[in-house]
Amino acid sequence: MIEQLLLAFPMGITVIGAFVLMMLSHSKNITLQNMNLIALFFLMSSFIMSYFTLGNHSTPFLFETVFGNSFILDDFATLFDLMFTLGAALTLLINNDYLKSRTYFNGEYFALMLFSVFGMMMLSHAHELVTAFIALEIASLSVYTLVGYHKSKVSSAESMMKYMILGAMSGAFFILGTAMIYGAVGSTSLTEIAKYTNTHDIKDMQLLLVGASFIMITILFKLGAVPFHSWVLDVYHGAPYPITMYMASTFKIAIFAIALRLYLVDFASIFGFWTQMLQVITIMTLIGGSWLAIKQTLVKRMLAGSSIVHSGYLLIALSSIGLGSSLAAPALMFYLIAYFISSVGAFGILSFIASKSKEQMSYDDFKGFAQKRPFMAIFMSIFMLSLAGFPSTIGFLGKFYIFTSAIESGQILLAGLGILTAFISVYYYFKLIAVMYFYTSDKKPKGFPLNISTVLIVMMALMIIWGGIGTSLIPFVPGADGFIDIAQQAVSSLH
Amino acid sequence: MQLILTYIIFLPIVTAILLGVFRAPLRVLKLGAFFSSVATLILVAILTYHFNPQEGIQFSQNLPWIKNAGIRYFVGVDYLSLVLLLLITFLMPPLYIYMYHENRKGYWFNMMMLQTGVTGAVLSLDLILFYLFWETMLLPIFVMIGKYGNGLRQYNSMKIVLMTILGSMSMLFSILYIGYIYYEINGVWSFALNDLSTLSFNAKTSIWLAAGFLLAFAIKIPLVGFHTWMAPAYGSAPTPAVVIMSAIMAKLGIYGIWRFGFTLFDTTLSYYAPTIIVLALIGLLYYAVRAITEENLRKMFAYSSGSHLSLIALGLFLNNIYAWSGSLYFVATHALASAGIFIMIGLTYKRFKTVTITELGGIASHAPKFAFFFAFFALSIAGLPGTGGFVGELLIIIGAFKANFWVGVFTATTMLSAMIYIFWMLQRTLFGSAQNICEYNDLSAREVMMLLPLVVLLLLTGLAPSLFTPIFEPGLMTSLETVLAHIGALK
Repeated sequence: MIEQLLLAFPMGITVIGAFVLMMLSHSKNITLQNMNLIALFFLMSSFIMSYFTLGNHSTPFLFETVFGNSFILDDFATLFDLMFTLGAALTLLINNDYLKSRTYFNGEYFALMLFSVFGMMMLSHAHELVTAFIALEIASLSVYTLVGYHKSKVSSAESMMKYMILGAMSGAFFILGTAMIYGAVGSTSLTEIAKYTNTHDIKDMQLLLVGASFIMITILFKLGAVPFHSWVLDVYHGAPYPITMYMASTFKIAIFAIALRLYLVDFASIFGFWTQMLQVITIMTLIGGSWLAIKQTLVKRMLAGSSIVHSGYLLIALSSIGLGSSLAAPALMFYLIAYFISSVGAFGILSFIASKSKEQMSYDDFKGFAQKRPFMAIFMSIFMLSLAGFPSTIGFLGKFYIFTSAIESGQILLAGLGILTAFISVYYYFKLIAVMYFYTSDKKPKGFPLNISTVLIVMMALMIIWGGIGTSLIPFVPGADGFIDIAQQAVSSLH
Repeated sequence: MQLILTYIIFLPIVTAILLGVFRAPLRVLKLGAFFSSVATLILVAILTYHFNPQEGIQFSQNLPWIKNAGIRYFVGVDYLSLVLLLLITFLMPPLYIYMYHENRKGYWFNMMMLQTGVTGAVLSLDLILFYLFWETMLLPIFVMIGKYGNGLRQYNSMKIVLMTILGSMSMLFSILYIGYIYYEINGVWSFALNDLSTLSFNAKTSIWLAAGFLLAFAIKIPLVGFHTWMAPAYGSAPTPAVVIMSAIMAKLGIYGIWRFGFTLFDTTLSYYAPTIIVLALIGLLYYAVRAITEENLRKMFAYSSGSHLSLIALGLFLNNIYAWSGSLYFVATHALASAGIFIMIGLTYKRFKTVTITELGGIASHAPKFAFFFAFFALSIAGLPGTGGFVGELLIIIGAFKANFWVGVFTATTMLSAMIYIFWMLQRTLFGSAQNICEYNDLSAREVMMLLPLVVLLLLTGLAPSLFTPIFEPGLMTSLETVLAHIGALK
């Protein structure tokens, strides 16, 4: 029993941390910087524990005695845990400057952050649909609050309302779907559902199919796939920079933790049923996202629009899984890692700039940025290149794996469309590079401030290059080869 | 000796990174860039000395790189890449001498990056590696046009980047698909050219796959219809970028067809041959007419370069030894001549602050040395007998007549039309009345130093072609025979 509890400890420590921070947030004696350190301490201890668990569970382990089979532990979940804790820690660290520059942050910010991490970790470990729903709601509710954190700003409050109402609506679909599946199977445990789908003919499980389709709607909503995308631009725009970064890089990944588990294992035998629907949605997402991203004049909104396109690439991989591609699942995981690093970097720089000024940051505001901050401009270019999938960055390899898996599963036209939208994305990403470099500025060049935020931005940029061209020469630092190995290992632990 | 190609590829960019990290002062930066180019030149000279023309790919290095995807670090050199490699390394030192007074640091870093990009593209034999270099060489060009160019520089650099990337994305699609076909048959991924050349595709797939590659190369060359980026980009780009674009990057389009097109799709290319020959013939005449009417010297020579590259592309698809060796010879000599003329145009701009023909005139009477070099390079572009360009053009025209009488007749018009625009331009710029009364500095010793090697080489290639042919002739013969055997044209 104790051993089993210990295995759940990485997850537990975040929720302990969340409660501790919640208590502390009322104290007047603790500064925000100290709160930040405490939050980081809990996140990093969880990260370190997960790090040493990675690789130990190549076959799934069910928490039988303590949680009644509603949680599972495998390398897949551990890899996601690592990304969640790392994502939250990076969000806290990179946005430290931003945190200092804004007065509306207070102690609850950290507690909410840890609660959402806890929710996401629970989601990746969930092996039962109601647990998954609760986990999803814990994570979502924290994020809703964080989105509206700047209470006095109208757009922040508006985006919170928009996100919360639509999110709660889509959450209702999840629970409705769960109810239907319970009606069909008689249990909400994923083991039972897998047993049911494997033993029954697809014609006999209409109720389960409808229920699972409802669950898919929730997943697509959270991903921001077209036609469930209407919240993305406004929410990303209205939220404070740290939260936008957290949503784009980390929270989006969490959805795949449950989606992949459901569709790779439990609905694997009937996943082909959704392939055509997914393909149509993928096409709409790719085209619609590109259209939205092209139109924007604010960089933050452009990144929001382009995150829809990135969801489109991930959906390509998802429908390749349905068509039986063995490469697709690791490709998807790899793409998540690649997108995680690149978007953390890009939003990190935006929030760094935002901490120095109160501007909205349209493309025009970036004119002459390379002159003002030459190093930041180089790193921003690296992040843009990686997001655009330029070779020699990790983003290219991500697209490489996604497109080869699409070709392998026979979706040649979808791969072609993906490459076409990648071409379109070159326009809006290169536009930023062009604006930074091709205009002169009359402001004086500023030095490169060395603090934790900027050092982490540099590290992200190096990771992108190393993940694109590096081999496994340096131990502990996964290169281009290492990341896909980890991804494959994680996916194979599911079965 | 094993690592020599790796040194040649990465020496410039490693120098650039080191200089950048240690924030080298401008003077050190200039010296570092120049010496890296000289060192590469020495390495290439050693390589050429040890190069055996009778063998195929040499000095190859084949290491696994990204194992899961079967991507390899596979570089090697054969007769074709050697010609382009010699050109690149030979042109870099004069360009650095040209940039002697250039004080913007970014400029120098970009040039070093560019050298690595083009060298890597020429030497890589793995398709993904090739794609990597093919894309990365675009970045410095993007920055150089957009940041250091003139005119509508921001717009024009976006235009060249988007058009070129459209081509490379279509190529990427073909590459991935070919890799997948290999995976399907062999169960492992590989993008190495020698592995992929063993594949045979069915006719329909092959046509689509070849189209992906050809689009990328047609935009790079550019064939007529894919050329809208060319004149604006050449017009806006600073001189060193123009030199690399016309002398090297446009040739890489030809190189790509030669290396990847003929290796992977030899039979399919004969399906495309009529289309490309017609496009090239239209291009010859169209670009020549545009060159005659163009007033801006940079754009004029952009069109002239397009016209000659169409001629080279034409020679490639005629499938006989005259046209092939003519094409390869012309690749080299046109690169030298166009590098020379674009450097001269750059010098013109430095002196007169204009490159519009109507605003120039009477240079010859004030600056005889300047006028001599200008006229020499212009005439070697036109194919003056005694310069290398003449040999190349003549061989292609002979090849064209051998293939088809009418194609031959059309091809021969390039020489004529080139004479028209070159002589008319020379008459208006060098002679006539002096319109622009500013400082008429003649060429300095430094400028003569950088131009002289080009002149010597152009004369040598023109007067004694037999000095150079042994390098590529045996390899060329073998690959032509293979291609002809595959398409069944060999009796």
